[in-house]
Formats: sequence, structure tokens, C-alpha cells
Amino acid sequence: MPRTPRPSATFPAAVIEQIHELSDVGHYEIRGWGAKRAVPSFDDLTFLTSSLTRYPLEGYREAIDTTTVLGAGRAERPLVLDVPITIAGMSFGSLSAAAKEALGRAASAVGTSTTTGDGGMTPEERQASAKLVYQCLPSRYGFTPADLRVADAVEVVVGQGAKPGGGGMLLGQKVGERVAAMRTLPEGVDQRSASRHPDWTGPDDLRIKIDELREATDGQVPIFVKMGATRVPYDVKLAVAAGADVVVVDGMQGGTGATQDVFIEHTGIPTLPAVRQAAEALRDLDVHHDVQLIVSGGIRSGADVAKALALGADAVSIGVAALVALGCNRSTTTGDDRSPPEDVTDDYLALGATPGTCHHCHTGRCPVGITTQDPELEARLDVERASRRVENYLRSLTMELTTLARACGKSDVHNLEPEDLVALTVEAAAMAGVPLAGTSWVPGAGAGLP
Amino acid sequence: MACVSTDVVVLDAAVDDTRTINRALRALPDGARARIEHARGRHNLAVGLHHPVTVDVVGNAGYYCGALGERATVRVDGSVGWCAGENLMSGSVTVRGHAGQSTGASAHGGLVVVHGDAGARTAISLKGGRVAVAGSIGHAGAFMAQAGVLLVGGDAGDGLGDSLYEATVFVAGRIASLGADARVEDLTDDDVAVAVALADEAGFDHIDATSLTKVTSARSLYRFDALAAQRY
Amino acid sequence: MCGIAGLLITDPDQRPQLGALLAPIFEAMTPRGPDSAGLALYGDGVEVHKQVGPATKLTADMALADRGGTCGIAHTRMATESAVTTEGCHPFMAGDDVGLVHNGSFSNYATVRRDLAATGVSFDSDNDSEVCCRLLAEQLAAGAGLAEALGSVPDRMDGFYTLLVATPSEMAILRDPAGCKPAVVAEGSGWVAVASEYHALSELPGIDEAHVFEPAPLEVHTWRA
Repeated sequence: MPRTPRPSATFPAAVIEQIHELSDVGHYEIRGWGAKRAVPSFDDLTFLTSSLTRYPLEGYREAIDTTTVLGAGRAERPLVLDVPITIAGMSFGSLSAAAKEALGRAASAVGTSTTTGDGGMTPEERQASAKLVYQCLPSRYGFTPADLRVADAVEVVVGQGAKPGGGGMLLGQKVGERVAAMRTLPEGVDQRSASRHPDWTGPDDLRIKIDELREATDGQVPIFVKMGATRVPYDVKLAVAAGADVVVVDGMQGGTGATQDVFIEHTGIPTLPAVRQAAEALRDLDVHHDVQLIVSGGIRSGADVAKALALGADAVSIGVAALVALGCNRSTTTGDDRSPPEDVTDDYLALGATPGTCHHCHTGRCPVGITTQDPELEARLDVERASRRVENYLRSLTMELTTLARACGKSDVHNLEPEDLVALTVEAAAMAGVPLAGTSWVPGAGAGLP
Repeated sequence: MACVSTDVVVLDAAVDDTRTINRALRALPDGARARIEHARGRHNLAVGLHHPVTVDVVGNAGYYCGALGERATVRVDGSVGWCAGENLMSGSVTVRGHAGQSTGASAHGGLVVVHGDAGARTAISLKGGRVAVAGSIGHAGAFMAQAGVLLVGGDAGDGLGDSLYEATVFVAGRIASLGADARVEDLTDDDVAVAVALADEAGFDHIDATSLTKVTSARSLYRFDALAAQRY
Repeated sequence: MCGIAGLLITDPDQRPQLGALLAPIFEAMTPRGPDSAGLALYGDGVEVHKQVGPATKLTADMALADRGGTCGIAHTRMATESAVTTEGCHPFMAGDDVGLVHNGSFSNYATVRRDLAATGVSFDSDNDSEVCCRLLAEQLAAGAGLAEALGSVPDRMDGFYTLLVATPSEMAILRDPAGCKPAVVAEGSGWVAVASEYHALSELPGIDEAHVFEPAPLEVHTWRA
């Protein structure tokens, strides 16, 4: 009698497929996007909005402040944002010039910033982004003092959530003429960026590096330090000791243009506990909100933004979500004034993906023209339409954020606090340091760091 | 504060903080000369200058001396700490004494000259600049150097030229060991001309350019395994 | 992460000046490690002073500038993974009189600590540098000389480090295989000085005539008092 085939829990089909793949090619899988597995997240928290103990603000009428000031402590010109949602660093090279420009225009329209990436600043990006954060990465590709002087803030990248402890990667098919020239690389090489900076080796030397950047910018703009979330309490304190005006902590859900899958899925801690630990570290130093905290890694909704702020962040950064707003993983291109949107599902299938599951940024064959250097593919992204989408998305996030904050009785979104939240799972309660819903139990409270 | 003696602006690091000194340097007119006295290992002197001025540092400077510079001429009559001429774009940084680690790191252009020895990671991540060291350099010289030239008048430490891209290294003395993907190539007449010109510009007269060892990339790390084509 | 400073006097006539010469080197390392400071002072025996707070406070409290001796090694600490407490301050002492200061971080210290604990070694702190110090003490107790014991550290300890060690008769230094963390040595007339950054040494009398260098990775340098 035929029996029902019995799959293995240890070796399900996807694992078997992956072993076959590795045994065919002889090296690790490289891909884009962030962690795909489920981890405890902001979804596991809910707000205790007003009823009788507290009064809400009028949801559609009363003013609420979303202004966010970054680097007010030391810089002559702090970065002032109209909303606490910024666009994370993504390079020209990883992204097409059109995608970078669309992000810049959208951010400018809502009064927030974009961030350069591993490969330098393009004139188009500087033009499109009214507020631009200039990254200083281990590779120093295209890093120039002239661009430093026109930046609105400088972000020293120690690491990122997708690959804390690892360097960036840009495969040869994306290292075209312009990208290669900007990075001083031969065209078509598989670029593997350094994991360590060439000129400092720890927080004691980073302090001198930050002073150097302050000298080169004459103390005008804030200096951020960005890192992947691993030993968060220590790392945040050391970043402050090294002189950071703003600390950026990127959780394990944070995305990338191309990195080893093993890095993406198996390093770092989720954004949820990272925010809490970072805020605690700043409170321990008595600099919470004086040194600002930006968190990133898997932020998708205004609810995520509100929860991150409540747990102690001053702002959030979005990367993958901004790309999705541009049109990443849509089945159709943007279309433009001359031609209607075109269905590109077949191009996803050719990559071994579908609209909705694609993470093939690393191939440079982005069906919707976002993570590519191919002129024909890039032409599929209409800058005007794509930037309108991102602008709409940023406005929607802000409305979701202010809706929740008003309902919690706040006239400033930065007045959200951990006590506005409870957790739906024991894991989230422990990680966020808020009570399990319906109880006063905070698992692990008082257990100390880390 | 700055005071003018003959035609040289004199700045005193024993009196002024680094920001004050660098602001004074940036305020100099094109073609002006300045002297920083009592440097005593101060970090970040003459950082980010971007106009044609000449700055003489009296004594020893700390980290990042003359870093992030364009068009300026920075000269130190003593030794310097780490990262002299780091990310230089053009102009020059000249050190009469010795230099610490990461000298000329990620310099995109310009010339960094060290008349003594230089430490580890000299010309690391070099992106088109030229670095000339009269004496010896430490380990990991020209690590990941992408473009430009490193000339070493003495010996080079272990791991020279690891993960080189298109930069070229010339060594007059012994090489302790080569790093991954670095190889020795035959000198061409063009190489000799490049080395002679660089040695002349640096003011070195002890280097026989025809007997230099030239190190370049074997280019075996440029691509992942070719068999894997587009699959990674 | 931290700053280190050290001074060994080889000229007996200069021994009364040890403290006066060392104090400014030590204090100049404060920005690299503002959390706590510590010092081992060798002369008639060894004294260890450590406290939370900047080096300037410690040097003032103990009137270092008025103290003579043969050698001193000092440390300013920017705490990484262990607490800012007096116990976490360097120097760590191996046995009665071997002092160690460390700039860097060991990446496998927890394992070495477990291994040493299993053989009966006890620890005063949760600090990674103490583990290295205990390891050195074991080697010295087994009869190794200072240079040999220090030279064997890379066999067991992984990570980044500059180690400065002193005994009543010697001072020694070692840097990790990548030479990640800084050290500048100045061999002068009648003294040898060490600091993380050159500027700390810039006021020493005769510094302009001294032999100044950065030790190469894995090279053990020792000097006798």
C-alpha cells in the first residue's frame, strides 16, 4: 500500500535544496535583503492607549510635533528632520542612480534625510537630497573631503545589522564603468569591502578619527556612529566615549545589497531588544536623548516607528521598506508618461524568484530597475513616479505614528515611553523589558546587562 | 593666536587648540606660508586643508597630520603618529622623521613622503595617491591598495601587497613576505621611469631604480570561482 | 580599549625622577581611557595603585611626581565588556611582582579563563586582561623567563593586544600578530619609555635624541633596569 511521503523536520525541502546548491557551487550563498526567518519583533508589542486614566489628543485635529533634532549637542548645524524617519545608507552601485534620486526627492519632500552608502556621493544624490548623511566606511570608496564638506552629517559605519563584523560586497555584474571609477576599482571585479577601517582599530583610536572628521568639517555637522546590533550595551557606550553625536543601531533584520546568507541569518540580535539595550546604555551614561539614538532593521510601519520611539529611539531608519515603496517586489514596473506599467513577472521567475519573494539584489538583474546598473533595467524605474510612492509611504508612516502617539495622549511623538507598551509574548516582554500583557511581569527584569 | 613674522604666519600649539589652528590655516590666502610650533605630537594638525598653502610643523605631529588634504603642502620636521596624509586628494605631506601606522591610508592622490621609516599598513587601501618611504615599512604594506604607487627605499615587512588591486609597489630592500594574491613582476623601463620620478620628487638619492623589486596583484581574487558564474 | 604608559630607568642617578617623568606620560593617555587608571610602581618592592576616574586624579592622590623608583607601568581604561570598578583596573599582577597592562581585547578569553579555572587558578575580576596576566603567571611559575612567557601568549590568547609587562628588574612589550593596537617606544639616555601615542613622550628630556620606534607584531622587546 502506498504511504504518504514523510518530510524531515531537520531536513525539510528547502534545506535539502540548499545543501544541493552548496555542493554544486563550492561556496556560500550570497544574496540581498535581510533575515528572512521569524524573530521576535515590534509586532509582539501593543500600545496601551488612552481611555479613562489618560486623555487622548484629538486624532484628526490637534497638533502633534514630529520634529527630530539630531546632533544638537556638539555640532554647529544639527540635522533637523520634520519626521523621525530617515532613509538608511544604500550605495549608488548597489542601487541604480534612478533609485537613489527617487529616494532623495521623496525624503526632501517630507523633510527628512537620505544616506549615501559604500561608494561615495553622486552629484545627483546631493542635488536630490536636501539633507544628506555622508557615510565613512571601512572601504573609503569614493570618500573625499570635498563631499565631506557638503554633507549635512557624517556617519562612521562600524557595521550593519545584516553583517555585523563583515564588509560589504558588490558583485562584478554591478561594477560597471561609473561605479568602478567612483570606487577606483577595475570594472567587473567582485568587490569585497574591508571589515575594518584602514586607520583606526578600536574606540580609543576612533575617538581621534572622529576628531579628524570634526576638524575636516570645522565642527559644523553631527558625527553619527552606526553599528550592527551585537554587544549593544557595550558598543553604544563605547561609541559615546569615542565622541559620537548620534548612535545608529541596526538590528539583525537589517538589509543589504549582497552578503553571505550565513551572515544575514545568523548574526546579531533583533531590533526589538537592541533598541531597549541601546536606550538603557545611554541612560546609564546619563546622555539619553542628548546623544540621539537611531534604530533600524526591519522597520515597516508607523506602528514599528512608534514602538521604537517608545522604547527609547529618537528616530528610525528604513532601507528595505523604502525600496519596497519604490516598487521592489512589485510585479509591474512604474511605467511613465509615455508607456503604461509593464508586467515583469517572467523576469522574477528567471532569477528563481517571484514578485513578493525576490532577494536577488546581488545579481544586478532587478526586474523593476532599483538594484541594478543595467541601463535597460534602470529605465524601468520612473524617478517621478517612484519618488511619489516613497513620499506617500513616508507620509503614511508618519500618520500611523502620530495616530498612535495622539491616542496615547502625546503632543510630541518623542514623548512616547516604554510604559505605553505591553508585550504579547514572553519573549518580546523579556527583550523589550515591558510587561507581558495583562500582567506586571517583565521576564528577566533586574537581571542586568547584557 | 596667529602672528605674522616676516611672511610666515606662526601658530603656537602650546597656546592654541587644534580647531583654532586649523581654522587659522584655512583662513590663509592662497600661496601663504604658516608654521606650527610646539606641535608635541598633537593630533589632527593641518587636516582638511583645500587650498594651496604651505604649512611647516615644528617638532613631532600626532595622528592624521595633513589628512584629507587637497592642494596644500604640509611638512613636518620631526616624526608623526598614525595616518599621516590619510585620504589625501592632492598636494603633499612630507615627514622628515619616522611615521607611524597607516601612513597614506586610502590616499586618492597627492604625495606622502617619509624620510625615515614608516609603520604597519603603510599605503593601506591606497586609491591613486603616491607614498614614498626612504627607510623601511612595517607589515601589511599596501594592504588592499587599489591604485597608485608605494615606493620603499628600505625593507618591507610581512604580508606586503595582500589583496592588491591595481596599485604598484616598488621595494629597494628585502621583502619579508608577500601577502595573498601579491606577486613579483619584472621591472619595465616605464616602471623605472616612474620610480625615478617619484624618488626625485621625494628627494631620495639612495635608490637604484633599476634594481627595485616590483610587486603587483596576481588578480586571482578579483572574481569568485568562475565555475559558479552568476549563481552566488 | 585603553592607553598604556611605561617608564624604565636604566641610569641609577635618574631613579629619583621616575615619578616626575612618568606622571605626564600617564596623564597624557587620559583621553584614550577616561574611566579608570592604574599604576604599578617598582622600586623597593612594588606598589599597585588603581582607582576609578581619570589618571590625573590618581597621580595627584598618590603624589606620583614626588616618587622615585626603577620602573612604572600605567594604564588608562576605556572599559569594553567588563565593569568600571577598581577590580577591573589595570595593572593586573601575576604572582607577587609581575605587572601587566593591556590595550586591546581578547576574543577567546572566556575559554582560557575556564581552562585556567579548571586547574585551580582563581580570578579577582571578570576582565579579559586578568586572564592573560594569570596565564603569564602560570608560565613564570613553571620557570619560564619573562621574554619566553610573554612570547608564548599568542599561542593561547586570540584577539588584539598590546601588552606591557614589568618585573622588579625588567620591562617588556608585545603586540598581536596584526599589530592592531598602538605602541610607541622611546629608548633614551638612561631611560626607556612606552606610550600608546607619541605625544605622551614628547616632553621627556632628551626625547629628540632617543631611538623612537613602533614594535613590530609578535616581537618581544625587553629592557633591564
